[in-house]
Amino acid sequence: MLAQLVFSGLALGSMYALVALGYNITYATSRTVNFSQGQSVMVGAVVAYALYVGAGWPLLAALVVSLSALAALGVLVERIAVRPFLASSSIAWLLSTIAIGIIAENVAMVVFGKDARAFPSPLTARPWTVLGAGVYPQELLVPLVGIALMALVELAFRRTLAGKALRAVAFSHDAAGLMGIDVTRTITAAYALSSVLAGVAGILLAPLLNVSATMGTTMGLKAFAVAIIGGIESARGIVVAGILYGIFEAIVAGYLGTGVREILGFALVIVVLLLRPWGLFGTPALRRV
Amino acid sequence: MLRRTSVGVGLVLALVLSLSVTAWTQGKPPVKVALVAAMSGGSALSGEAIKRGLTVAIDEINARGGVLGGSKLELVIRDEEGNPSKGVTAARDVIEREKAVAVFGGLHSPVGLAMLPVFHELRVPYVGTWAAATNITRNGRTPNFMFRVSANDDIVDHFLAKHVVEKLGKKKPGVILENTPWGASNQEGLTKWLGKLGAPAVGFEKFNWNDPDMSPQLLRLKNGGADAIVMVANAPEGAQVVKSRAKIGWDVPTISHWGISGGRFPELTGELADSVVFVQTYSFFGKQSEVGERVIAALKTKYGLKGPEDILAPVGTANAYDAMHLVALALDKAGAADGAKLRDALENLGEYKGLIKTYKRPFTPEEHDALNESDYVLVTWRGGKIVPVSMK
Repeated sequence: MLAQLVFSGLALGSMYALVALGYNITYATSRTVNFSQGQSVMVGAVVAYALYVGAGWPLLAALVVSLSALAALGVLVERIAVRPFLASSSIAWLLSTIAIGIIAENVAMVVFGKDARAFPSPLTARPWTVLGAGVYPQELLVPLVGIALMALVELAFRRTLAGKALRAVAFSHDAAGLMGIDVTRTITAAYALSSVLAGVAGILLAPLLNVSATMGTTMGLKAFAVAIIGGIESARGIVVAGILYGIFEAIVAGYLGTGVREILGFALVIVVLLLRPWGLFGTPALRRV
Repeated sequence: MLRRTSVGVGLVLALVLSLSVTAWTQGKPPVKVALVAAMSGGSALSGEAIKRGLTVAIDEINARGGVLGGSKLELVIRDEEGNPSKGVTAARDVIEREKAVAVFGGLHSPVGLAMLPVFHELRVPYVGTWAAATNITRNGRTPNFMFRVSANDDIVDHFLAKHVVEKLGKKKPGVILENTPWGASNQEGLTKWLGKLGAPAVGFEKFNWNDPDMSPQLLRLKNGGADAIVMVANAPEGAQVVKSRAKIGWDVPTISHWGISGGRFPELTGELADSVVFVQTYSFFGKQSEVGERVIAALKTKYGLKGPEDILAPVGTANAYDAMHLVALALDKAGAADGAKLRDALENLGEYKGLIKTYKRPFTPEEHDALNESDYVLVTWRGGKIVPVSMK
């Protein structure tokens, strides 16, 4: 029973981590968060469905185009819902990104329809038995790709020029600007990257969750909880927290019942906020005077 | 002078002619009936299915001369968005402003229950075509203005319980249901009937809409010793239940309420769909009666459907079609477009050969549900098509 629950939690948990990593990237560079991340998950799945299943494109082409569309969406969100409000240092971006999410969801309902649709994958045809637990191969693929992608992002941050620019902007806008880094463009890139990560999560989950206009809403919320628990400034903390949160959810649901799952999950967020506001794995911010 | 007279005569003639033409085309004023149902949001498909059933019936009735000796039927539609207070406003609006003589209801039980006092106050009958909550029709009012051509949760629960316990011989069913008022209504019914049949459920597990993985709930039932699953779910969540069941390698009979027929369950579950049996009031697959053939043909031409597999949410269409015909018969019997007279007439209708069955006496003062347990069919999917299961 335990093995079964861990497998169930692993796939979902790694996707919480992937989406939450998007919150981390934009927060680090601009102190803003894209609250339509959950809907980016949905857009990824819906666009991939439209191209791969609807138009019958080859999988690879459908993936490339849908992830490019996600990058464009991230740029759009940053341009119209975040940048106009950055200068005034107001929190209007919070409402405007939520608004974008609601619009995206309703556009999907009109264009894609209200029914859930199946996303065919050979990896969900037959379950395998691993350690006495049933698991769809897709459920193993999801954490593998997720963790590999997160490692890749981490590597790119440390080794590539663009990654270093992102980290520089995260450290200080002024210092990065003085060094000749285009801060505005870097923030835009951060938004594009975070949307792409959410889109990957959507596409990976589509065969397991089915594709629907509302599939990303809870996902976005839980990923934010994960970002808070792990520490929104700590990429590694988020990855660990995401996976643990997914497993925690499955175990609570399995041993205590589904009714208790959300109660305990979100109570945990409050406890963490009270005891370690910087998250389980973050470090307290230095108070600069 | 002569010219002016002739012009005047011509004008008068033209006026008389045009008046008589309008009188001839208009005939008697139309009789309005209303549909108050969810036409948008997650259950929009059900509203559309009901609208189609009503429209096909109205076209037939109008083609043969309408009701009350020549009045055409006209359908007024209002969207209640699944919101009880919007349903109440809409019910008042269609009765008081549009003068509808009967109101058809949609999928959401809470909306039907909220509108109940309005129909009694304004004395206009409600005819349910989907919502199954027991106390919509069994409400203790006399006279009772609530009628239904659809399933009733209490009766469905008895039907499901009997199948599990008596036909399948299972003694420890586990129940998985959605965490909504509809789920609660069935928890009540299943607790009662499984208990009476001596096979109380080993557990009632709940899930929320959009829950991705149901294996924790199923593991709890499995570890509780369940030997069958009774499911109360709509298509997306029902699909996740069945996929999770296959994943944990648990092979037990799965019996479902009809919610899973309101979406694309076979597409979502593939060949696993064949492992679920569920209840319907009607199936458009298989050998059809003369009425069935006619309705399918009308749906094809009017809505461009290719075949019965395109009739999504089929129970909505079937129930609404029969409900509309029963109201038309009652209007003729009442002899006037009057809500109270129509209500009395509905209770005293004679035989009607409908789509779902031949109704001997559709409603009586004591029984306002036109369909009962013997009209339910147990069905399953074979290659994406709904086929009846024999009850042996």
